[in-house]
Amino acid sequence: MLVLRRRAGESLLIGSDVEIQFLEVSSQAVKIGIQAPKTVTILRKELFLTKLQNQAAAQGVNLTKLMDSIEEFN
Amino acid sequence: MPLLATKYFGAVSFDPADAYRFPQGLPAFELEKSFVLLDVASKRPLVFLQSAGSPDLCFLALPISVIDPEYELSISFEDLSLLELDTNRQPIIGTEVLVLALIAIQEGRAPQANLMAPLVINPQNRIGLQAIRSDSRYSFEHPVTSRSKQEELC
Repeated sequence: MLVLRRRAGESLLIGSDVEIQFLEVSSQAVKIGIQAPKTVTILRKELFLTKLQNQAAAQGVNLTKLMDSIEEFN
Repeated sequence: MPLLATKYFGAVSFDPADAYRFPQGLPAFELEKSFVLLDVASKRPLVFLQSAGSPDLCFLALPISVIDPEYELSISFEDLSLLELDTNRQPIIGTEVLVLALIAIQEGRAPQANLMAPLVINPQNRIGLQAIRSDSRYSFEHPVTSRSKQEELC
């Protein structure tokens, strides 16, 4: 992974059409601004992971097999 | 009582007033705004979150305290507001809110519970949402294994 040090007010470019501006930095959080073409999807990673996991969770399951694997929680 | 078409249990009678409202749907299922919790005695502690509008959509879930009795909530201000809960503190699991972890099953692996984004339901107003944490304290793919198996591994 590339690791860079940037200060508030600075920015960086990813490719030629995505710009990330570092607007505010505190000890707890960083506020960033992103300029990108409309075709680029920007998602908080935890939302992206939740979408994927929800899609997996919506798949049908064999209930008998599942109960075998978790029955000892009862 | 009207009938609800379910994915796993055929048609079951239900009271529409028992449905939970998810104003935002769930991530990847944003249009699904009404769910019914099916608590089937023979399948406990599993609960089934059946979509009221789509018979083919039914999530499996476990009460979060079954997976981690020490689980600590971190619900955002926005999510607390949507649930119409006190925004100054985290609600108490079990008494003030019902908290469930969705379970994903993939062939050949232990079932996984999403502890990073639990479902939080306010039983007072029957509003629910998936409260995505922004910290990385809990995994979105926490393996669910029985306690005895965990002990064997230790």
